[in-house]
Amino acid sequence: MTILMPEPDQSVLARRDEIIAALRKIVPGEGVISSDAEMKPYESDGLMAYRQPPMVVVLPSTTKQVSEVLRYCHQNGIKVVPRGSGTSLSGGALPLADGVLLGLGKFKRIREIDFDNRAVVVEPGVTNLAISQAVDHAGFYYAPDPSSQIACSIGGNIAENSGGVHCLKYGMTTNNVLGCEIVLMTGEILKIGGKAAECAGYDLMGVITGSEGLLGVITEVTVRILRKPETARALMIGFTSVEAAGQCVADVISAGIIPGGMEMMDKPAIHAAEAFVHAGYPLDVEALLIIELDGPQVEVDELIGRVEAIALGCGSTTCQISTSEQQRLLFWSGRKAAFPAVGRISPDYLCMDGTIPRAQLPLVLRRMNEMSEKYGLRVANVFHAGDGNLHPLILYDANKPGEQDAAEAFGADILKLCVEVGGVLTGEHGVGIEKRDLMPEMFSDIDLNQQQRLKCAFDSEGLLNPGKVFPTLHRCAELGRMHVHKGQLPFPDIPRF
Amino acid sequence: MDTLKVRDAQEVEDAVRAAIANEQPIEIVGHGSKRTVGQPMATNAVLELSALNAVTAYEPNELIITVQAGAPLADVLSLIDSKNQHFAFEPMDTAALLGTAPGAGTVAGMIGAGLAGPRRIKAGGARDHLLGANAVSGFGESFKAGGKVVKNVTGYDLCKLLAGSWGTLAVMTEVTLKVTPRPESERTLVLRGLGDVAANKAMTAALGSPYDVTGAAHLPGSALRTTAGALAEIAQPDQSLTLLRLEGITSSASHRAQSLRTALKSFGDAELIEDDASAALWRGVRDVEPFAASGPRALWPVWRIVCPPAAGGALGEQLSRESGGEVIYDWGGGLIWAALPPAADGHAKALRQRVEKIAGHASLIRGSDAVRAAIDVFHPQPAGLAALGSRVKRSFDPSNILNRGRMSRGSAT
Repeated sequence: MTILMPEPDQSVLARRDEIIAALRKIVPGEGVISSDAEMKPYESDGLMAYRQPPMVVVLPSTTKQVSEVLRYCHQNGIKVVPRGSGTSLSGGALPLADGVLLGLGKFKRIREIDFDNRAVVVEPGVTNLAISQAVDHAGFYYAPDPSSQIACSIGGNIAENSGGVHCLKYGMTTNNVLGCEIVLMTGEILKIGGKAAECAGYDLMGVITGSEGLLGVITEVTVRILRKPETARALMIGFTSVEAAGQCVADVISAGIIPGGMEMMDKPAIHAAEAFVHAGYPLDVEALLIIELDGPQVEVDELIGRVEAIALGCGSTTCQISTSEQQRLLFWSGRKAAFPAVGRISPDYLCMDGTIPRAQLPLVLRRMNEMSEKYGLRVANVFHAGDGNLHPLILYDANKPGEQDAAEAFGADILKLCVEVGGVLTGEHGVGIEKRDLMPEMFSDIDLNQQQRLKCAFDSEGLLNPGKVFPTLHRCAELGRMHVHKGQLPFPDIPRF
Repeated sequence: MDTLKVRDAQEVEDAVRAAIANEQPIEIVGHGSKRTVGQPMATNAVLELSALNAVTAYEPNELIITVQAGAPLADVLSLIDSKNQHFAFEPMDTAALLGTAPGAGTVAGMIGAGLAGPRRIKAGGARDHLLGANAVSGFGESFKAGGKVVKNVTGYDLCKLLAGSWGTLAVMTEVTLKVTPRPESERTLVLRGLGDVAANKAMTAALGSPYDVTGAAHLPGSALRTTAGALAEIAQPDQSLTLLRLEGITSSASHRAQSLRTALKSFGDAELIEDDASAALWRGVRDVEPFAASGPRALWPVWRIVCPPAAGGALGEQLSRESGGEVIYDWGGGLIWAALPPAADGHAKALRQRVEKIAGHASLIRGSDAVRAAIDVFHPQPAGLAALGSRVKRSFDPSNILNRGRMSRGSAT
């Protein structure tokens, strides 16, 4: 493991039996797991290169239990790592050796469906897809659709501010949640927002979303649901250069069209996907765009024509338009299977997640090819083209000495490049441990201190998910210290208020 | 009052540091168009940002614009309009309601106030469009939040806190906002004569339909009686208007308007209003023209109530009946503007009792100095949330230098 986690607190480890006994009093029966064998599944999340058994796993089933567990841990200086379904790609739910792993998997109930207010109240362990399924019969759905939606939990979605292929048009998690119940590290239970469009006071819901489990533990969520679009159709367009495909994306947007989805794949990704699912992708192109238009039939039909004309103007060499739902899904099948497809052609791969200004795409891909040669590792690219979110997949073999380190160094170089061209380290996967030590590439010490001060407002002892997101831990007292610079008051004429 | 007009971000930082060192709270102002919103502030020193007015970068194809905090909103709106783009959340122009100079207001002021217009039901609010910011905290430090791309989850989303914080957390010096294509066409369906509760039902049906409604407002006849402008032009005496907007490419907007009209037959036979005429109506709703400060209700306190949308009609009807005031509805009932007859507490107590019953909240957007000093202008929070809010404030501004007391009555000292 190349990422250092906070040093385990030996005094906590020495009290392990006592702590487990206390936790069993709060969460009886099978809700506390402490044997090595049973804790095994909790050792890692979707970032499987990193593993760490927790001190103990606790699976509460009520908000009260969550509150009591957190209060106990707070009083006893015990760290807590919250976990939803464990699908994080950035290691957000990686356990700590001296920490409680708090799994929310038993919070599986949909509490209320309110079609009139277009809101659904759910427990955090409900999967993303289950929300859409629960309202499907009435023609509604929950818009964010991360590719792990069959497994990932809504609580985890809030922690990571998850996106998906449709978020250019419909927004990320943060744009689709209305409120939550959250338990602070002290055990205090707070209700934030609800079915109203905005909460009173500061937008705490907004800052909790995407906070990667460092601010509190979510025990209930109110999401916004939307009516399903009447129809959706997709175009599958091939180009002989990445530049031409990039131009097509820019031209679609400047024509005032925001497609439901706009995905790009480069040649290695196209070939891997086609070999896996036989979606009929053209193999002689350098870049493939899948553009989906959704909405009323009359709108979709007209926009399909407009997008086709734009693509031709950009020199597309192939263009297929779906004429049936089956064909639309076939176009998508390759893109949706891109990660496992790449998994077939390489023993291991790393999935990166930077966002860049789209105009920089040709430059970034060129530089990435140079890096690929330098590190001697192949890279395949899938790309949420509409919003500039890159997913380079770095192919490597963990069994070959040095390859994992090389792949991680390659990945870090890609993310540094994203920042260098005006982008960011992560578009939707989160910082977690994976990008933690790259944070200074994007943020100054002052920027990071300000973020950590906010953390102190929620968790003054730094016990909730420490070691994630921030490369350096500071004590809250130190962060809160004011360095006063005595200066000339620029308002010379007024008495002190 | 002593005003310091800063010219760049460094001067903002210098001024805030000096203010901290001298324990001198400062009021943060752009054009000053919304200075009368909030609790009266405990300061007599003003930091004015209107000279930070440059457009740093506008990238229509990347769907972003970066401007300095004091850039005039009106200018920025014309700039992005020239590329057929807009801020989808339809920021409100408060000039008519507050009786300030037309066209005044800066971009950061608009973000700090976070007052989104009718399209919020579809596109979200200011908080959903603030992608990044440079700001000076109450530590006297310049920090960056967010980024300059439309999709970003790197670090805490501090932008969400800055939007709607009324300048109490940090002094924004530069902001990056998401811009989106302006719809090609718009159509408004007008239903006449519905009562508030029936209109609420019609709006709920429309918003639950697959026709992608981007505006749903209801204006009772009595609220329209004294209004001027586009709304007055289509109003009939003492007859309410219920407005439903559809936007997009022309063929689609027309098609959906027809489909929705059919779907809402049981609520009446809707009239159709197109494009410019439609846009004028929605400006009237967005800017709360029926309660304009130039009108007969200039002295009436005006509340902004946000509540679960399907409960809005019954609440608004009750409020107007009990207080003898007037209400108008936006966001399908989820936003109620209430102008109530003058009262020492602006009806705060009675109104909030009603609002809290349906899990809503209410802020006084227009009120006399005396009323604003006497009541909580922003909705008081339960103790735990209020305490967390104070800790968040202190995490940005530990000595309470920035807009001291504006958002919370107890914090003026």
